[in-house]
Amino acid sequence: MLATLNKYRAAFSVGLQSNLVYRVNFAIRGFFSFFHLIVVFILWSAAYSGNASIGGFNFAQTFTYFVALIVVQFMIGAFNEDYQISEDIRNGLINQFLLKPVNYFAYRFSLYLSARLVTGGLILLPLIVTYPLLQDYLVLPTDGWRLAIGLPALVMSALIQFGIAYCFGLLSFWFLEIQGLVILSMALESVLGGQIFPLDLMPEWLFRISQYLPYYYQMYFPVAIFTGRLNDPAMALQGLAIQAAWVVLILGLGQLLWRRGLRLHTAVGG
Amino acid sequence: MNHYFRLWLTSARYCIMRTLMFRADFFIWALVELFWMAVNLLMVSVIYQHTDTVAGWTKYQMMLLVGTSLLIQRFLMGFFWSSIFEMGRNIRSGHFDFFLAQPGNVMFMATTRKIDPDSMINSLVALSVVIYAARQLGLDPSATDLALYALLVVCGVIIHYSMLVLCITPAFWITSAQGIEGSYFTLSEFSRLPRQAFRGAANIAFVWILPVVIVSNAPASILLHGFDAGIVGWVLAITVLWFGLAVFVFQRGLRRYSSASS
Repeated sequence: MLATLNKYRAAFSVGLQSNLVYRVNFAIRGFFSFFHLIVVFILWSAAYSGNASIGGFNFAQTFTYFVALIVVQFMIGAFNEDYQISEDIRNGLINQFLLKPVNYFAYRFSLYLSARLVTGGLILLPLIVTYPLLQDYLVLPTDGWRLAIGLPALVMSALIQFGIAYCFGLLSFWFLEIQGLVILSMALESVLGGQIFPLDLMPEWLFRISQYLPYYYQMYFPVAIFTGRLNDPAMALQGLAIQAAWVVLILGLGQLLWRRGLRLHTAVGG
Repeated sequence: MNHYFRLWLTSARYCIMRTLMFRADFFIWALVELFWMAVNLLMVSVIYQHTDTVAGWTKYQMMLLVGTSLLIQRFLMGFFWSSIFEMGRNIRSGHFDFFLAQPGNVMFMATTRKIDPDSMINSLVALSVVIYAARQLGLDPSATDLALYALLVVCGVIIHYSMLVLCITPAFWITSAQGIEGSYFTLSEFSRLPRQAFRGAANIAFVWILPVVIVSNAPASILLHGFDAGIVGWVLAITVLWFGLAVFVFQRGLRRYSSASS
């Protein structure tokens, strides 16, 4: 057990080091996501002028939502895991994992964790620097249940994020080129995952449907709990159950794709 | 001029033939673009479900603006994006040597080599968004207004092209910094906002210093409010300015270029 853990701890630490090499790139990316926040700020403050509330929330609540979304994105978002897995398959690097007692999923997941530790830490820097400017527009509710449900929701969101990227990456066993599919799914995710606007602003029926789709649980769900867009603990618990079902389903699908894919795999190169 | 047009036509023909070879790919990417446009329009419609105006712009005025901004961006993507994006990678890998041996201006050759037929097709979709919004607003622009609209869209494409080149040319100096390309996209997000929404420092930064906002707002306002000499003059002036800056920085970068690989 301990030996197994040590293997992946090594992968984790290698991942940590290689991500720290690219810290400047991540910092640049973090810096530019604040430009995105400026867009959000300008657009929504224009929409709010003349309206005290939109969809039952005031400007500060809506802006807080978008800030939280960016922070969570850097903490758990799967940026290019799908692409890396796809590359491993295409250039035969995956063959190593068939010969050695290393579980590919666990290996990739360790790398994902180390990368998120770096980016999650780095996004705090611009946040701390700009906090004096932002603080007037940030409001977070303080109820205790939000932490109790929000934290497990966040962990499961991370699993869904990684799980979906893992599945997409494995599709390379069947298709040579997955970038198009990935970007198509990103577009879907950006709408149904609440990155373009808070989902509760959508027409009621669409919002209802979205609550049963995995996109809702990729990021929106924990963010909605933390920022007060979801105010009913019973609803949150119900969401947690649906989320758990998606985690099981997506990770199961990953396993299935891995087994089926290996049967097709001809181990060229490597 | 004719020489360059023929060079471009040859590359374009090659790209279209390639596209025909990978039809499934073309289909997926065209769908991707279409979807992103739908996302932008969806955002407009969701916001306007909760409010009547944003910075004085009504729903269909806003749709006209977003459509114009998308039109400019599709043209940029269709004609230049692939080549410019690759340019950064080529500079880093040393493959840029290839362009130094080409029969024409290096900047022209390196930034126009590849076209994207899927973006070009989607520019028709963006155009239909503009036409749809104009119909909903009951606009009846004169031939002069339409010609000016077209002129300002072309200026917009040139300005975006120049800014994109300026985002990539740092690769000549700092070969390690990847992903600067992405910063351009963040900037282009501003172009979908009405100019009136920008106040104070944001007005100075994104309307006056960086032209991202004026580029999409100017043609849209010509259609909405008719000819305005001040706006047209302003856009023409900054087009010359930004294009000149891009050429200047590119040439300086080119002098720094030393082939990276063997």
